[in-house]
Amino acid sequence: MAFKPASQKFNATINQVEIGSGDKKITLGGECTLPFYTFDAEIPNAPKVGVELTDLGIDETLPGLKEFYAGAATVAEQAAKAATMEGADFISIRFEGADPNGENKSVDECVEIAKAVADATDMPLVICGCKNAEKDADLFNKIAEALAGKNVLFLAAKEENYKTVGASAGLAYNQKVGAESAVDINLAKQLNVVLGQLGVKNETIVMNVGTATAGYGFEYVVSTMDRVKAAALSQNDAALQMPIMTPIASETYNVKEAIVSEEDFPEWGDRETRAIDMEITTAAACLASGSNAVILKHPASVATISKMIKELV
Amino acid sequence: MAKFIVIGERISTTAPSINKALTERDPEPIVKRAKEQIAAGAAYIDVNIGPAESDGEERMKWAVQLIQSECDNIPLALDTSNAKAIEAGISVYNRSKGKPIVNSADAGDRIGYIDLAAANDAICIALCSKGVVAADNDERMAFLQEMLERGLGLGMEAEDLWFDPLFLVIKGMQDKQMDILEAIKMISDMGLNTTGGLSNNSNGMPKELRQIFDSNLLAMAIMNGFTSAIVNPNDKRLMETVRVTDIIRNEVLYADSCLDDLN
Amino acid sequence: MALKGLDIFKLTPKTNCKECGNPTCMAFSMKVAQGAAQLDACPHITDDVKAQLAEATAPPMKTIKVGEHQLGGETVLCRHEKTFVSKTLYAVAINDAMDDATVDAKLEGVKKVDYDRIGERMYVEFLYVKHEDGVDGAKFVDLVKKAAGLSRNLILEVEDADLAKQAAAVAGGDCIINGATPANFEAMSAAATEAKAVLGVKAGSLDELYDTVAAIEKLGNKNLVLDATADTIKATFENVVQIRRAALKNNDRTFGYPTIVKVGKLAKDDDKMQMALASLFTVKYGSIVVMQDMTYAQALPVFGLRQNVFTDPQKPMTVEPGIYPINGATPDDICATTVDFALTYFVVSGELERSGKPVNLLISDAGGMSVLTAWAAGKLSASTIAKFFEEQDIAGKINNRKLIIPGKVAVLKGEIEAKLPDWEIIVAPNEAVQLVKFMKDL
Repeated sequence: MAFKPASQKFNATINQVEIGSGDKKITLGGECTLPFYTFDAEIPNAPKVGVELTDLGIDETLPGLKEFYAGAATVAEQAAKAATMEGADFISIRFEGADPNGENKSVDECVEIAKAVADATDMPLVICGCKNAEKDADLFNKIAEALAGKNVLFLAAKEENYKTVGASAGLAYNQKVGAESAVDINLAKQLNVVLGQLGVKNETIVMNVGTATAGYGFEYVVSTMDRVKAAALSQNDAALQMPIMTPIASETYNVKEAIVSEEDFPEWGDRETRAIDMEITTAAACLASGSNAVILKHPASVATISKMIKELV
Repeated sequence: MAKFIVIGERISTTAPSINKALTERDPEPIVKRAKEQIAAGAAYIDVNIGPAESDGEERMKWAVQLIQSECDNIPLALDTSNAKAIEAGISVYNRSKGKPIVNSADAGDRIGYIDLAAANDAICIALCSKGVVAADNDERMAFLQEMLERGLGLGMEAEDLWFDPLFLVIKGMQDKQMDILEAIKMISDMGLNTTGGLSNNSNGMPKELRQIFDSNLLAMAIMNGFTSAIVNPNDKRLMETVRVTDIIRNEVLYADSCLDDLN
Repeated sequence: MALKGLDIFKLTPKTNCKECGNPTCMAFSMKVAQGAAQLDACPHITDDVKAQLAEATAPPMKTIKVGEHQLGGETVLCRHEKTFVSKTLYAVAINDAMDDATVDAKLEGVKKVDYDRIGERMYVEFLYVKHEDGVDGAKFVDLVKKAAGLSRNLILEVEDADLAKQAAAVAGGDCIINGATPANFEAMSAAATEAKAVLGVKAGSLDELYDTVAAIEKLGNKNLVLDATADTIKATFENVVQIRRAALKNNDRTFGYPTIVKVGKLAKDDDKMQMALASLFTVKYGSIVVMQDMTYAQALPVFGLRQNVFTDPQKPMTVEPGIYPINGATPDDICATTVDFALTYFVVSGELERSGKPVNLLISDAGGMSVLTAWAAGKLSASTIAKFFEEQDIAGKINNRKLIIPGKVAVLKGEIEAKLPDWEIIVAPNEAVQLVKFMKDL
């Protein structure tokens, strides 16, 4: 009596979305299986790993990170350096400094940084905002214009600003549009639907369905992604067949396990090791749940997660 | 469970324009109606070519190839009392999007359609009747059992027999409506699929009432486990019911815009 | 699993003899499926058929107990469908080719990681003790004895039945003997049965594993776990998923057992890869994950992840009501209050920690709801806060008389002031991320 494997091969497929141009361009999605289920069907495009940079520079309290970027003073230099990172497929620039409640950098200043980065590297680029919907809309519009032809992904349009972001990045400048919802599957679908109604094509949308650090409500991430993939693949729901990109580092470096010093918690050991392990754990869990791309900060995390993906696909 | 399956009924010889197009082999009106139904949410298109005793085989082949080639191989229900025409249609049928449906068998003279479906790896609509409509649900279920045994005996999967309890007209058989709904529940509890020409319930009613009765009866039938229907997918009210019940049954994810595209 | 009427109907004689009192076999089958009739009412159904039905209604995946630990018993592939019932457990590996110092260091490391997170004890539940080829059996038994001293349940990796028996005898409690192969399963199964141990089964391929499990079941032993570890990460992932899916989706009970995944072995000596794999197999269906080590840096994320993944979707995770001093707060420091929903607690306490300001975080029972939901449901009100202050004797334990309340329930300020007249009530910002600045400016 031989073993008869159960199959979960679906008749629906996740959309393929290209980011970047030239040799380094990447394709997200295209699979008709659950994450890493290569035994059900081939996964044409392995999940991708991006490197997180911010306009505020490198976190120099992490010695390994500091060492990796040694000598790279500007964001553009850091991007050039990040492009050499083992396992890196794309670069993400987060304009944290644009936040009106923070440094409130001008849109022009951010555009200059984005242009310099685009000149410094031929890696595909993802542009992340400052979480202020109004400022992001303005910022994305100007960067989309400045980086026309670079096929950049803007992460992301939200419920509050999807009209502006969709119209500028998606329609006027023909870039890729991220659709962000905070672990709310109905809103995730709704955003994609209304972006579609604006005229943004499904094949130019990437979702960020939200994330959490492992241990901090991650069950919602697992269930949201499980349900998104179930709707996309088994229910053939075209409004949820967009690939998913998940920023990891912007979450995981903010939790206690990654923040507190070894002096304060001697039994927990080296802080940088803790931060990397948290980043790796969260990234692997997101990929296992359905992310088509993750954005990580530490070179050790990027190398490990990229290697894990290669082993699995 | 799965999404409710709408079989579009609008390609039928009973419609004069379609009858004419079928007779004259005029593709345009047929393709147009097929596309309208698909756009509205039909998962299958019923192709009713009438008895077509003289040129049934050629007629069905022509219609199957026409609709499938123009509509991305949409799966079809082949609907005629001419068994040879159904076989001819299946011989040119493209299965890439789903098996063909044989429409239809019953427990009486047309039981041979089950054999036809079994021999051709097709789905078969099985009317729970034997020449005449079943007197009650005991009889309805006995007919069902006969057809189920026949299909299983021929190696069919139970899920490929779609049982039609036969909807009855409210103007005339109002007192039997709950029986039909109960039959759907019993068939569903068996783990079997159901279908039917639901709009028969509103035959003879004023036009403005028909959609209201059809959509409400559909909601009640779906509550009892009804899995598909042969209906007009361009009936907006009916399709709203299909959409909404799919969402309530957790087969389709809710979004605020879920009904926006129904016009 | 409930049977559909059709499954029962297929087993009836289909003669419509009416001896059961129903008009047709179909009607009878439906009643049985609904529990309205007993199968015995049909005089023609044989014992064989009854046994088939009993088998078909048994749970698809067995629950295996090792000491106080429970493995398997899952019924769904995704947690949102119902809930996962048996959380992933972890083991640290030692072997008899290691020198004493290495073993001691590993055991010491296992002992060190033992803490509480939201009411759950976080520690390494198992020690995995491996007998290496060519090492004297007596050395293995000694190592098992030593490992038993840590009062963890043991997984004994040994393929010699006699040695397995000797080792199990000194394992100091329930253990898993991970040693049955297609070549030795009869002897190993007898050894495990005699030792009252769970038997681990392994093979070179899923087909071989399947046949071996079937053969062991035939011997009457159904107290098994399946070692899904293959040569590569990819093949191991496939094994783990296929085993779980066969059991739950296809009702194939031969694979209805928990799995062991040796991620340390798969990651070779790359401890970062080991971390990634521990996460992967926690999310996807590993019952026991065997690591080379479990440091705090590894434990904190993976235990946190497990706690999330295995929480019941119907029941929110909550923290115990009480006083949580943050940044070394003393009774003289300011207080802040929020709800007992674990996620809220983590976010708020995290931001307060980041502010660097000492503060006593007061958590009251709000039924595990978030701030606004709890307020709307009457679980967070001036009365519930006053009641909490009284029950916990806050005024007796805390000297400071300032209380920060969540910005989202600013409307409660007046009512709380009325109920707690000695206290100065301060309203925090709406969002937790604004807390750092707020605390620094306070």
